[in-house]
Amino acid sequence: MSQMATPVAQPKKGLNRHFVGCSKITDYEMLQKLGEGTFGEVHKARHRYTREVFALKKILMHNEKDGFPITALREIKLLKMLSHDNVLRLQEMAVERPKAEGRKRAILYMVTPYMDHDLSGLLDNPDVHFSEAQIKCYMLQLFKGLRYLHDNHILHRDMKAANLLINNKGRLQIADFGLARHYDEPVPQRGKGNGEARRDYTSLVVTRWYRPPELLLQLRKYTPAIDMWGAGCVFGEMFKRKPILAGQSDLHQLQIIFVLVGSPNTQTMPGWESLPGAEPVHSWQQSPGELSERFRELNPIGLSLLRDLLKLDWRKRINAIDAIEHPYFKTEPLPMREEDIPHFADSHELDRRNARGQKQALPPAPAGGTVGGGPNGQYTGAGPPPSGAHWPNVERGRHGPQDRGPPGAERRGPAGPYDRRSGGYEHRPAAARYGGRGGGPDRGPPGEGRYPAHPPRYGGIDRGPRHLDQYVPSYRDGDARRSRDPEERPRGERRGSHESGHSREGHRDRDDRQDRNRAYRDRDRPGDSRPFGRDRRDGRTRSRSPERRDRNRDRDRDVYRR
Amino acid sequence: MEFSPLANPLATVAQLETSNSQFDGLPADLEKSIRFAGARLTQAAGILLRLPQEVIAQAILIFMRYWLGPEAGSLHHDPADVVSAASIYLAAKTSAYQKSARSVINVYAFLDSIPTTYTDLSQLPEGVPYVSESTYTTRKRRLFSVEVEVLESIGFQITFTLPYTLCFTYLQALDAFTYPRGQHLARRAMAHLNTGLLSPQFLYLTHQPHALAVAAIYLAAREVGVKLPGVEWWEVFDVDREELGFLVVGFLSVGTFAAEEKKYWGTRKVPMTVAELDEELDVRRVSSGNASLEVDAPQNSSTGVSQSGSPVGEC
Repeated sequence: MSQMATPVAQPKKGLNRHFVGCSKITDYEMLQKLGEGTFGEVHKARHRYTREVFALKKILMHNEKDGFPITALREIKLLKMLSHDNVLRLQEMAVERPKAEGRKRAILYMVTPYMDHDLSGLLDNPDVHFSEAQIKCYMLQLFKGLRYLHDNHILHRDMKAANLLINNKGRLQIADFGLARHYDEPVPQRGKGNGEARRDYTSLVVTRWYRPPELLLQLRKYTPAIDMWGAGCVFGEMFKRKPILAGQSDLHQLQIIFVLVGSPNTQTMPGWESLPGAEPVHSWQQSPGELSERFRELNPIGLSLLRDLLKLDWRKRINAIDAIEHPYFKTEPLPMREEDIPHFADSHELDRRNARGQKQALPPAPAGGTVGGGPNGQYTGAGPPPSGAHWPNVERGRHGPQDRGPPGAERRGPAGPYDRRSGGYEHRPAAARYGGRGGGPDRGPPGEGRYPAHPPRYGGIDRGPRHLDQYVPSYRDGDARRSRDPEERPRGERRGSHESGHSREGHRDRDDRQDRNRAYRDRDRPGDSRPFGRDRRDGRTRSRSPERRDRNRDRDRDVYRR
Repeated sequence: MEFSPLANPLATVAQLETSNSQFDGLPADLEKSIRFAGARLTQAAGILLRLPQEVIAQAILIFMRYWLGPEAGSLHHDPADVVSAASIYLAAKTSAYQKSARSVINVYAFLDSIPTTYTDLSQLPEGVPYVSESTYTTRKRRLFSVEVEVLESIGFQITFTLPYTLCFTYLQALDAFTYPRGQHLARRAMAHLNTGLLSPQFLYLTHQPHALAVAAIYLAAREVGVKLPGVEWWEVFDVDREELGFLVVGFLSVGTFAAEEKKYWGTRKVPMTVAELDEELDVRRVSSGNASLEVDAPQNSSTGVSQSGSPVGEC
């Protein structure tokens, strides 16, 4: 009877039954690969009929355990429900059917508008300078997007510069809802902070560098305040042009947070002591906080907004509604209008330059490590945190961050980047570290590299010497694949940043470096999850292509030798 | 810019007038019977999985939508029970009440063990049939592959705005709870909304939630005997008389349809699997003297779905 299945009217099928919502991949012309990562590749593509350009994110289906990946499903569901100028729109889904016989599994793509830049990429680009008015414009858009999300009971849970996409029309959009979820509590109210949650959520969220103290202390009843902390980090990052809190482990992250904004006490963070992760904190040196010293480039009003965003007390941390109305946005210089924001270098142009000058992004801190001191020896939180916001140059890198598990032999791949960190951190006089980017001997080729020959100026303030701690190399690979829990998947974007390290400070011996290169090549680079048109560095392939990277490295090496 | 969260994308005429099953030569009436039984099956499975009605409603709507999609396999390829399982698995997955594939498969194994579709609840079989590990693996693989097909077919539109909360809000706006029988009224209205989910006319896919809510209230008020405002109150909720009338008839016809189905199928089982379907088609072919498949079909209330009636000669 099975022949019954042979449809009588088969030809009519294709003609009649074609509906919008899920199109065929053949409707798109693939233009270039924008990136690839654990949960898929991202391509730039043009629609054959409308000629519009989109970013296509491939959904990988490795994990058969639960069928269609829940993270992708969640993201699709949320994006379909959302509609806001400052939230990335999901245009449709596209299906690629393998040509082979039978019912092979289809490959699915998420189609979103193509955005020219992501914020971290822009900040990395030495040719792009943000004026304060422009920063205000972006921050305002970010807050509007967050207000919309929070008002609709959605926690983004992966706020970071790499997830903020920006186009050449000055529009900022929040992207990557892979970790987002429904928030079951009352939404934030004007003037009332972010409220409190009644139920538990998983604390394995948010990329480490943007992870708020309450999450690091393992508060499970968290609130939209976690996204606001991330927004605060992004705010600071726009001035510093690099992540302001680049911790190397969850514990270290907590330490540098407390160094920056002050140690927690019953006033600044009521109830912190009863949080599960609070124990090691007791032994740390008290810090008064150094926000105003570190952010001299901010005027007092700006600083007060930053302070409100980086408040330790998650209940009192400013919510998006109030942030929009913060006086900062009502004082000179007023926020620029989107349409007045200058066009940044055309992506292709940018890409090419970056291919040469390896505009590398900082590595992400993968989310989902365990919190607390590792068993493997490095910093366990005993004793005072290292002074200042930067680590002393101890041999930490060799061991990898403590929450990444033992630096076992099975992780040959990550060894490269790990090692590079030691390159970056050790053996360098502080003076070089501080002055490096201003034209010190260890700078990369002039005009290239991540840092401009002329330190960017904001409001006439030379911020050069205050950059610390920038080259935390990537250590996501390997681990990326391991974690099976979708919540735990490393949220790594922007890989490849480690290369930039050597442009300015790697002068370890060459063999060592070659080893690293080899290690890099050997590994198959799984961890790079950079969705949606980030990192369009290169007309053809991405800067993260290993060959290219190696080429850069070789070139750089030559420069050093010279 | 912000869209109305209260609206759903609706099915188009083109989607409604044909189906891939019909292209495959399945009689329209049989298709309708199967869809109805499949929706009921989904509801039953949802109850057994202890899912809230909201999630079950999402699952039923995913199930209903599936058959309208461009790629939707015909019932010949994708048996209704697997599509139903995939729908409920998907609906639960995106809700706060995730269910494991194992639970879903167990529940469907139990439901499959009930010999009659329109069964008497007092005569349910005892115990849950055993699903062996290998059967489980096979079924799980099938479930996951159909899950993706369902997603594609529905264009990944996995969320539906449901009329339940709207209905409640409207009742409050109408001051319905000040009536002594206000609660009864609300309960009836909710019951109609649940009934409407199963409608072979796809009421939920052709009408917006606010209209469904208004029609359910109107109907419930008539039944319970609560007097709502004498004016055309439904216009306040943006529903015109014509749509209201259509929906009221639509809601009422589900009961009639169900009764006819029950009578037609009696103690038999509505074919859910491909094998059962083929068997059923065989039976029909024999009883009609090999002439055509369109035989012996109950004349259901019209849904506007034209019968394709393409005779399948050879076999």
